[in-house]
Amino acid sequence: MNTARDEILQALRNNRPTPENHPLPPVKTLGDLDASRERFIASLKILGGDVLEPVEGETLDQAIARRHPDAKVICSNVPEAKGTLPVEKVKTPQDAATIDVTVVRAPFGIAEMGSIFLSESQLPINSFAHLGQHIVVVLSPDAITANMHTAYQERPEFKTANYGVLMSGPSATADIQGVLIRGAQGVRSLSVWFA
Amino acid sequence: MSNKPVNHARAAEHFLEDAPHLQFHDERLWDMRQKRDAQMHILPEWQELREEASRIKEHTLSRLPEYLEQFEENAKKNGIHVHWARDGAEHNRIVGEILKSHNARNLIKSKSMVTEECDMRPYLAKQGVTVTETDLGERIQQLDDQLPSHIVVPAVHKLTSDVAKIFAKDYHTDPNIRDPHLLAEAQRQAARPVILHADAGMTGGNFVVAETGTFVVCTNEGNADLSATVPNLHIATIGIERLVPRMADLGVFIRLLSRSALGSPITQYTTHFRGPQKGGEMHVVLVDNGRSARLGMEDFWTSLKCIRCGACMNTCPVYRRSGGLSYGAVYSGPIGAIIDPTFNERKYSTLPYASTLNGSCTNVCPVKINIHEQLYKWRRVLVQHHEMPFVKREIMHMAGKLMGQPKLYRAAIKATEVSLGTMPRFVLYNWLNPWGKHRENPHPVKQTFNDWYRKNREKAKPAAAPETKK
Repeated sequence: MNTARDEILQALRNNRPTPENHPLPPVKTLGDLDASRERFIASLKILGGDVLEPVEGETLDQAIARRHPDAKVICSNVPEAKGTLPVEKVKTPQDAATIDVTVVRAPFGIAEMGSIFLSESQLPINSFAHLGQHIVVVLSPDAITANMHTAYQERPEFKTANYGVLMSGPSATADIQGVLIRGAQGVRSLSVWFA
Repeated sequence: MSNKPVNHARAAEHFLEDAPHLQFHDERLWDMRQKRDAQMHILPEWQELREEASRIKEHTLSRLPEYLEQFEENAKKNGIHVHWARDGAEHNRIVGEILKSHNARNLIKSKSMVTEECDMRPYLAKQGVTVTETDLGERIQQLDDQLPSHIVVPAVHKLTSDVAKIFAKDYHTDPNIRDPHLLAEAQRQAARPVILHADAGMTGGNFVVAETGTFVVCTNEGNADLSATVPNLHIATIGIERLVPRMADLGVFIRLLSRSALGSPITQYTTHFRGPQKGGEMHVVLVDNGRSARLGMEDFWTSLKCIRCGACMNTCPVYRRSGGLSYGAVYSGPIGAIIDPTFNERKYSTLPYASTLNGSCTNVCPVKINIHEQLYKWRRVLVQHHEMPFVKREIMHMAGKLMGQPKLYRAAIKATEVSLGTMPRFVLYNWLNPWGKHRENPHPVKQTFNDWYRKNREKAKPAAAPETKK
């Protein structure tokens, strides 16, 4: 008896168009190649994200307290911020549910989209990026790539991470009468701290 | 499942009777189309991106068996369990078995059109599995027991007041809420505990990368990432046509997808799954369900290039004024009208007629599917297969006879002009004359073109063409 796999593959072999007529196009790099911090910030704002700018020599902890004055549980996975909950306490995916603000470092950002990348290498547990109410992302201004073409061609993380998410601003929905709502089911806000 | 042809025209008529819903639907979709245009105008390379996307997809489809094998090999290396399903029933059985082996009773899922194709929810319900849709629009549709009316915005045919009514019943919120923010917050609050206690999570997949064994999920609400990262068991259901050869190819498709769909540069979340998370288990179910057969249809195989952005729906004047549910199928709009007949030729035989053939769908398609030409070709196929409504068939038959005989045609035109001018309305506007529905018949003219030509031009000899030096 044929397995489903064999049957599907055989049907595809029988039915496909002539492969010689459809050669694989070479990889192209198109569009604007500006990889500046300014372009990244402009794109980030279009998608509802924001920059957390230090005021008069503020530390990251102080800036977070200013941006999120009601936050009780702040959990940081970066040395730049202490937070209030030691990250070692987050052991199961559900543990992240009580966090008000999570702090992480992104290995790179994409100027075209204002996206930041996170993978299991930056997260104590993958749900850490989604269950908290707000997220603060530390990003080096030198780690910005120009656009989606350069990102996929140059960043090795896409080929090595088991879980790799590009977050472009906070979660959003426009499913009810077309009204855009920032803060749907994932984080309610996303702020980038350059360092 | 009934095999009776979907009466799209009647369902559309019903949709048209409700002015507030119709107006919102039309304007909302047109707004999405305009936002898409604005994004297109920002990028001088837009047409080149479309061309690249089309070529990459056509190449991949021509080597689909090889790329599927490559994906399977790499995914397995990364610890993903890969399953193959010939049809919906096989898919549902596979998912049911995975859940059973984990004793999983609560499944949270993000939006997936393939699971709609497979009609998975009722099957799992019978197995004692509670399925909770976590996408806001899809959840609204689940609670209202309706198919998604649009592949990107499933509840786009509803107003805030409709959602308030549905949520009041299931989430016990105030039925008089008119602020969408409050309703979206109600969904967040209702979904959180379900997500935290779920036994398994399910997603679809927008793209599958053969080179790395990765699948990519593009969403906005964060619900897909929650569904995939909170429970330790993740099942992804993906159509076999979703492949691209290389990671770098995603650059082209991610740049096109959300810009074409919603007019936003990118979805808020673009997630790459290459293997299970720490302590977790990951399954991919590759679903055929008619796709391998469609690949063999010379005129229609390129419909498999579709990346499900919905741009063709947003631009279609028929879709905007009839609503997705009027198509009576999982896939609605222009792309639905060329895909659905491959699932059931008789049931969906009416859908290729739900078009003016204006070609706007083809113009906005990010992977350059010739949608309007396929709509026309489907009409030919359906006529050859006798899947044409009686009245339409007879009218075409008579029109063919009439137009084949000039004398008869001229006599008929004259008779029509006379009758348009003299007959009472009840004779002209009734069910036998669909042209008299929702519109006035043309005003009768005093003289036909043929009469005018005979009087003024026939006797005058045509001027000789002037000699020109070669």
